[in-house]
Amino acid sequence: MLSNSDNNDKVIKIFSGIRCVSKDQLPRYLDGRLTDVEKHLVEQHLTDCDLCFEALQALEKEGSTEKYADLTSKLQRYIQQSIRPVSQEQKVAQYTRKERNKENLLVYFWVLAFGILGVSGVYVLKGHMRNNPTIPRLMVSAIPPAEAEKIPATATAVTSQPIVTPDHPSNIPSTPPAAASTPANNTAAPVAVDSARIKLLAAERAAKKKIQADSILKANQDAAEVRRQDSLKKLAEEKDKEQKEKEAAEAAANAAKEKEKEPEPAPKKEEVKKEEAPPVTNSIESLYKVALQYQQQGNLSEAMDRYKRIEANGSGKYVEMARYQLGICYRSKGQSARAKRMFKEVVKMDGSLKAAAQQALDTM
Amino acid sequence: MHQQLTSLSDKELISRTRKQKDREAEGVLMDRYSHLLVAITLPQLQKNPSLDPNIVFPTLLQQLSASLRTQSIYKANEWIMHMQRGYLNNQDKATPFYPSREARDLLHIENKVDKATTNAIDRQEIIVRLQQALQRLAPEEKKLLDEFYVEQKSFSELAAAKGWNRDKVRNQLKTAKTKLAKLFINQAYVK
Repeated sequence: MLSNSDNNDKVIKIFSGIRCVSKDQLPRYLDGRLTDVEKHLVEQHLTDCDLCFEALQALEKEGSTEKYADLTSKLQRYIQQSIRPVSQEQKVAQYTRKERNKENLLVYFWVLAFGILGVSGVYVLKGHMRNNPTIPRLMVSAIPPAEAEKIPATATAVTSQPIVTPDHPSNIPSTPPAAASTPANNTAAPVAVDSARIKLLAAERAAKKKIQADSILKANQDAAEVRRQDSLKKLAEEKDKEQKEKEAAEAAANAAKEKEKEPEPAPKKEEVKKEEAPPVTNSIESLYKVALQYQQQGNLSEAMDRYKRIEANGSGKYVEMARYQLGICYRSKGQSARAKRMFKEVVKMDGSLKAAAQQALDTM
Repeated sequence: MHQQLTSLSDKELISRTRKQKDREAEGVLMDRYSHLLVAITLPQLQKNPSLDPNIVFPTLLQQLSASLRTQSIYKANEWIMHMQRGYLNNQDKATPFYPSREARDLLHIENKVDKATTNAIDRQEIIVRLQQALQRLAPEEKKLLDEFYVEQKSFSELAAAKGWNRDKVRNQLKTAKTKLAKLFINQAYVK
């Protein structure tokens, strides 16, 4: 019964799955070097597997086991070689892909960073340009080089004039060096705009400090101006009167000698006229220079007042210069319409400042 | 990794190759059958000297690799045999592989038996049904199967006893087994 049940159990072996004959088993089976159990298992498999049975038959018939072994080892080597490089290549490819991605990200980052830096730089520069007052540069460019050179010399000349400094001679010598130094600084302004601006601010501060002290000086100067003009007129009138009296006296006393003495007063008249002309021009010139000083100190209203007076009373060249400076003053005050009008008038006058005025008009 | 893969079954290696695109699993599978491939191709190589083994085997492997990804493979040995035959008969055209009905029946029963090894009730049921199927076989065939599987006689012993050669013994065993498998499956349908 026991053996019968064992036999019954063995029936199940008919359908037990067995792997194909391995490359060790195949030659050993051919040589009969397998154990009974192993041999039975191989034969069980051989009943089902055409591949293994055919391989066995082929090896038995051909008998070329050497060639079989050679080809098998070659094929296995080929398979192993074709697997390994692929897996290694895959790893290398993955690594290189990662590295490339990293590099690309870095490149994108730097490009973005430089782009943002560039844009912000341009923005900041534009803002700086917008806020930066361009007056000092334009003022320097507006003054003809000959005039700019003259300014320090004329400033000292102004101080030497007794008419301008009757009451406070000690105050005036302090201002001309500052006035003389500012044009010199302004010539360097286009190169370093910030330094010029700082100096301008310093000058404004200094000007504010001096406003109180200067107010007295201004009053004195105004009075002196008026007095000087009055005195000039009086001088001219007195000379006229003297001449008339002389003429009358001479006419009365030397009636006979009139024919001989008549040519003498005529040259005198001419001399008087000649003497009369220079003081007017000198006064206008000094007025202009004082105005220029005020303008440079930042006291625009005072300067403009002077310029207007020059415009009203002065002659050709000074009127043109005064109008031009008035234009600059209006522009720095922000009254562009008036400034334009002034510059247009300067252009109309067709003088030496026509080009500068035209340039100022173009830049506005 | 390679060591772990060699212990896997054909089915697992094929699924690894397909699902995970594991080249190593494919290589292990090819390596497992390489010696058999060489053995069955040797007669053709000797018959036809124009066939260069340096070209034949790589090409065959490529075809096998391509078909491994696309075709349904029940038994690797049957598939490799089919591919090799197809390549040597017509080198230009790769013939698709369809597993035979018999092979599928066999595989089905083998899987059942494999599952039943850990389950005593299933195992007993299969044994009973197998016995029933065996009773319906021709007596010669039943005797032959009994001698081979139960008495564990070798091919040579059977051949000597029957007066057949080894090939005939093997073929008779194979036909008897196929018939038994058919009877077993049909029994299941009847049930």
